[in-house]
Parts: sequence; structure tokens; C-alpha cells
Amino acid sequence: MPNKTEMGNRIIPYQMLLNSMSTTHELIDKILPDSGLPSLRIGLEEVLSVVRKDIEKAREGLPIVGYHFAFQPEYLKCFDCVPICIEGVSFFLGALLLSGVETYYDLIGNWGHPFHTCSAQKGVMGMSLEDLFKFDAIITPTAPCDSTCASYPFFKLQKKYPLIIADMPFLHEEKSYKYYGEQLKLSLEELGKVIGQEPDFEKMRNALELENDVTKLKMELFDLIKAVPSPIENMFNPISAAATIFISGTSENLSFYQRMLELAKNRYKNKEHHGGEERVRSIWPYMLTFFDISLCEWLDRELGMSILLDIFNYNLSDLIDTKSDSDTLFYGMAKKAMGWPMVKQSSEFYYPFLDDCIRMAKDFSADCFIYTQSIACKQFGAVPQLLREALHDEVGIPMLIIDFDVGDARMTSLKAFKDKITMFVQTLM
Amino acid sequence: MSLNNDPFLNISNSIMNSYVKEWQAKSKKVVGHYCTYIPEELLHAANLLPFRIRSTGNKDTDLADIYMVRFTCSFVRATLDMALRGGYDFLDGLFICNSCDHTRRMYELFDLKVFKRKGFEKKVPRFYIAMPHIITDEGFEWYHKEIEEFKEEIEETYTHQIISDQDLLNSIKIFNKNRDLLRKIHELRIIDAPKITGSEALQMSMSNSSIPKELANQELERILKFLKESEGIKSNVKRIMLVGSEVDSTDFTKLIEDSGALIVSDSLCFGSRNFLDDVHIGDGNNPLKNISKRLYYRLSCPRMMDDYDRRFDFLRNEIDRANIDGVILQRINNCDLAGCDNMLHSHRLKDLEIPVLDLDREFYQADTTRLQTRIEAFLEMIK
Repeated sequence: MPNKTEMGNRIIPYQMLLNSMSTTHELIDKILPDSGLPSLRIGLEEVLSVVRKDIEKAREGLPIVGYHFAFQPEYLKCFDCVPICIEGVSFFLGALLLSGVETYYDLIGNWGHPFHTCSAQKGVMGMSLEDLFKFDAIITPTAPCDSTCASYPFFKLQKKYPLIIADMPFLHEEKSYKYYGEQLKLSLEELGKVIGQEPDFEKMRNALELENDVTKLKMELFDLIKAVPSPIENMFNPISAAATIFISGTSENLSFYQRMLELAKNRYKNKEHHGGEERVRSIWPYMLTFFDISLCEWLDRELGMSILLDIFNYNLSDLIDTKSDSDTLFYGMAKKAMGWPMVKQSSEFYYPFLDDCIRMAKDFSADCFIYTQSIACKQFGAVPQLLREALHDEVGIPMLIIDFDVGDARMTSLKAFKDKITMFVQTLM
Repeated sequence: MSLNNDPFLNISNSIMNSYVKEWQAKSKKVVGHYCTYIPEELLHAANLLPFRIRSTGNKDTDLADIYMVRFTCSFVRATLDMALRGGYDFLDGLFICNSCDHTRRMYELFDLKVFKRKGFEKKVPRFYIAMPHIITDEGFEWYHKEIEEFKEEIEETYTHQIISDQDLLNSIKIFNKNRDLLRKIHELRIIDAPKITGSEALQMSMSNSSIPKELANQELERILKFLKESEGIKSNVKRIMLVGSEVDSTDFTKLIEDSGALIVSDSLCFGSRNFLDDVHIGDGNNPLKNISKRLYYRLSCPRMMDDYDRRFDFLRNEIDRANIDGVILQRINNCDLAGCDNMLHSHRLKDLEIPVLDLDREFYQADTTRLQTRIEAFLEMIK
């Protein structure tokens, strides 16, 4: 019988994540004043709490279930397991470790994985080659991208981890929600068989209700962000992404948004801006630089540029009807899943995405868009120019496009980002 | 006599051809599609000419680069470029499915930038089929419903009458015959003294997807007869299997074959995957469902997420059957699907001690010397 340490060693990168979050939090707590990076402080506290519990659960021998970020973590609450977000681990270790996780990208790259696939998967793939993870099962939808569909079979074929796939259709229609709802149910049942547990859907229902409350808080928060100046600092965006994909369905997630809302309300009341003066209001319709999230703080303080929204922070789903029958429940879950950040934009045509961006630009009084085009996200590869034209024609604002790798500092460096944005901002003034 | 300058094979050298012109001169419609998961038999039964979109000969992506970032597939960009320059103005319809992240966006780009460009007045209907990403019973039900809806849309847009089961059966027979002819020709390609080169086989496949199938069948019968009577290629060149991304230009296959090899088999979109199996006819009932079944359950392309083992088994069997000396895996840069399949193939083939070369390239031959050096070195390495 393996001892607690051996059991805990099934998720070594999670231990790395815990350590990096703890030290980062300690630095913020001990060095910065209360007003310094509150969203990072609050976010780390809440995520840390969950990660600590998960590590303890792993030490107790609960099954380790890897999940794609597009598979909502609250849906896994029907099991007693340790849920590990594959993409979250890659990117948040990349954001928090001083040396990033490029070592692991290179490991899998040397194994033959194409350079143009997603670093969100490359990180954990590389870690798996080193046996730093020992998953009991992995669950993923067939969305949002080719990189997901192409990369995940590696876990099954090379590492022999059972891989459970929920097929997500392209196009948002009634029949799609019904089909994907059924896929969610089947995949959770299959996962239960693999890990030897019966899914407890009542327990999951509670987590969904909790997330309904989170959605209400987010809606309130996003209404406040429409104010000038924005009452939320830029760092909120990556931390909110972390909360969404790591701790959805937990009381810590609810607590995170409650605390952030409180903070935003105070700033709104006092018309405060985190960086001192808000000079430019930007929307980032895609992702931020997870290889170095300090860019967020630099933009706030050096350029006075607010990031009002990024892709993880403008996808609000309808509340899930948790009071009706099972079919209605899974239908709601499917609808939420298909409206998830990045999944929404990838599982339907571009037209709604363009409309959403135009609406957001107007509603949030944006001065510009900054479109980060990731090397891996081919599903977004044909939209930047369409969006640029739409914003120009409909709202009269410009858009800067920057090519990059979300999780790899070597493709477009932080300095290159700063230089490009600085020059762009000069054209706005 | 050889297949050099064969008029049928030469059709593949350009996009427009005399058969398409003749077809349209009779007021009949030509419809474009990117992917083999589109049910061609159904289009044929609707008296439409399905034309597989390619970009043969186009080395430019300048115009397309405005709309598609450099991380997208240069093959797809080249087709869009060609369309933006008017190369596909002859189409009377466009059929897209979510084959990959690159091609599925052609739905919007053709809509907004090709068919709405200044001076282009024709109304070109577009259709979309949402393909599942895994092979399951539920997935089949989904796909078949999509095909049923697709049929209704075609009836509404083009035929204005019901496409009957008999129409479908007739088309199935013509397409089954087409696949049978291609299989027979393929058998003459994998023998010890192959009767046809890989480049010629590719040309044949592209021509076959660019003209009416009845005429293609006549041409294929002629070629089959000719090949049966011809002498095979007797040489000591290495026998290669070519696997991976879309190849729709003989520039690349000729580069391999001019380096001292013969491509005697393949697993390519424009290759053998297309003709391995037929639509089941049975008692003639529900031909549409049988069309869906063949497309959905056939040997998949790498877009199908959980079907890798079947794809590798095909490779393994074909390597034995065609007495392959080495496998060239290739991917067009930024093709995640072929790239990851190739990664897995590469390890498994090495485990089996089968020589393998994993190449990345662009759709157009931008770096011929690098490729040639790598191919020549690989061929020298094969014992």
C-alpha cells in the first residue's frame, strides 16, 4: 500500500504550484501595502486554499482526474477526486515560476510534438513524460481547438491514462445543447466507471447552484467595470481566469468574487483607479501574457491602460436550472459549457463574436482593442482582420494585433509587448 | 506510351477545366468543397458537380494573409488567395464542414470577403455540416441528421424537388464504380514493378475530383486498361509511403520521386483513404443512411480524435502489402492534426524499425533545397 508521500507524488507539479503561489502570496502580503495588487492577494488566498485541500486529498489516495479547461470543474464535483486542470497547471506555473515551464515545453517538443501546438497542453505533456503526474483518468471535450483534439490522445496512447471524451458539436443550436448534455452525462458516467465511483449528481447540483451565485456576482462586477475609471485592476483578469478554471464549484470561488466585488464597489464610489489615472481603456478579446502576468500591472501603472475584459472575463452564461429534472440540468450544463471562454468563440461562426466585440466596445467605452494572436489558436486565426475592420467601421476605434505564445516567453518577449503597446498608445493620444 | 501528358491527368494542373465549362454551359451547377466528409453522392444525385477545392499552382498567399494570420495553414491560405483573385468565381455553391480549424473558417471568409467583394454580383449559397470529433453511435446519429438536413437544403436551393432514393442509388453505383477503379489502379501501384508513380496517382486523384464522375470513370477505365498492358517501373529506387497533410501539388511528390524514390502508397486526403471502401447498397433501402455510414465510419483523417489506432493499423498493413522501404511523414506547418498524428506514427514506426522521416513544410515549395537534402539523406539511410 503506497504511503501518503507516494500518493502525494502523483501530482508533483501541483506541489510546485502550491509552493509558487505561497511564496508569491507571502511576497505580496509582506512587502506591498494593502492597496498593492489586491486581486492577486485575494485570488491567491482563495486558489491556495483549494490547492492545499486537493494535495491533501491526493495524499489520502483519492483518484487524480485531469481535465481540460473547457470541461467545467464544478461538473466533477459529482466525484470524490482530485481535479487537475491540465491547461491551468501549464499556464499558472508558467506565470508564477521565475524560470517558467519552458523546460517542459522543450521535453515534449523534443519528443516530436509540433512547435505550433498549444503550450497549455505542452507543459503537462512534458511533465507527464517525466512522470511528474500520474493521472487515474483524463476527461476532455472535443473543443475548443485542433490542438486539443490532436494533443490529448498522447495521454492515452503514450502514457496509458484512460481518456474520456465528450464530443462537443460545432454550432450553437438547441440540438447541439441536447447532444452535448447527453455527452456530458455519458462521459461523467464513464469516468465514474474508470475511477470506481458512482457519480453523485445531487452533490454536483449543489456546486452548480454555487456557480449560479458566482455568475450573479460576475454580472454585477462587469457592470461596475463599465464605469470610468474602471474600478478593477488589470491583474484581476488573469486571476479571475485562474479562479474560473481551477476553483469553480467551490466556496472559495464565491468568496473570491464577493471580495472582488466589494473592492470594486469601494473604488467605484471613490472614483479610484488602481494605476492612479486611467488614460486608455482597452479590451483584449483574446488572452493575456500568461508567461508573464506582470504586464497587467505595468499597463495599469506605467501607461494608465485598463484591461477592461479579456476572453476569460466576458463570457457570462445563463444560470443553470438546478430545480428541474436531470435532462434540464444537463441541458443547462451543456449550454454553459458551450458558452465557456474560448469555447463559445470556437464552436460557432465568427459573426456573434464580431457582434459581441462591437457591443462590448460600446458598453464599456473602450478606446481600443488589443488582439493577441496565439500561435496555437488556429480557430481564431481568421478573425483578427475581420474584427479590426468591424471595430473601425462600427465603433471607430483601432485594434493592435500582437502575435505570441500565451505560455512561452521566447516567442514574443515581455519587452516586445511593452514596446508595441507603448507605440500603439502614442498613436491614440 | 506513358501517362506523361495524359489529358486526364493534365486536368489536375489547373483549377478550371473544359469539363467544368461544358457542365456550366448546360446551365448546370458546380459546387465547391474542401473535405471528403462532404457526401458527394448526394450532390451528384442533385445533379450538381462537386468540385474539391485546391490551390494547385498557386504559390501566393499575399491577399489571403490579410485575413488569415501566419499561424494558419498555407494550403488553406493559398485556396483563399486564389478565391480572392477570382479563381473560384465559377462556383455555384460552397460546402464547408469543421474538418479542421483552418478550413472551417472559410465559411465566413468566403461569405464576407470572396462572395461580397466589389464587382462580384453572383449569389453563392453556402452550407455547413457539423461533424462529430469521435466515432460513436451517438455521433453517427448526429452526423446522419446533419446529412438529412443538408439534403433538404439542397432540395430547397437547387433541385426544387425531392431527391429520390433511386437517384441516390444511381449515384452510389457511379461513385462505387469510381472507387473500385481507383482501388484497381492502386493495386497496380503497390506491386513489385509499379505501373504508376506517386505523382501520377496524385494527379489522377485530383483530376478525378474535378470533373463529372461518369466521365472520370471512362477515363479511369482507359487508364486501367493502359496500365495493365504497360510495363512496370523496374528499378531499385526506394519504395516510399507518403503520409500526412494535404498534398495537392506534384511539386512535392516529384521532389521525392526525383530524389531516387517511388511513392507506392499513401495515407493522404487526395489519396488512398478516399477509395478504400464503398457505400453499402444491400437491398437498396435508405441509401442516404448508407452514404452517411460510409463517410462516418471509414478510415478517419486525423481530425477524428479517438481513432488513432485504426489509422496506424492501416499504415502498418499498407507497409507490408506495398513492401514499403520507408515512410515519409509530412505536415504543412501549423497543421496540429497531422503534426500530432505524425508524432505518434514516428515513435511507433521507429519501434518497429521501419525507417521514417518526419518533415515539416509549406504548401508551396518555399524551401526545396532543405527538403531535398533531408529526403536524399533519408533515402541514403534506408538499407
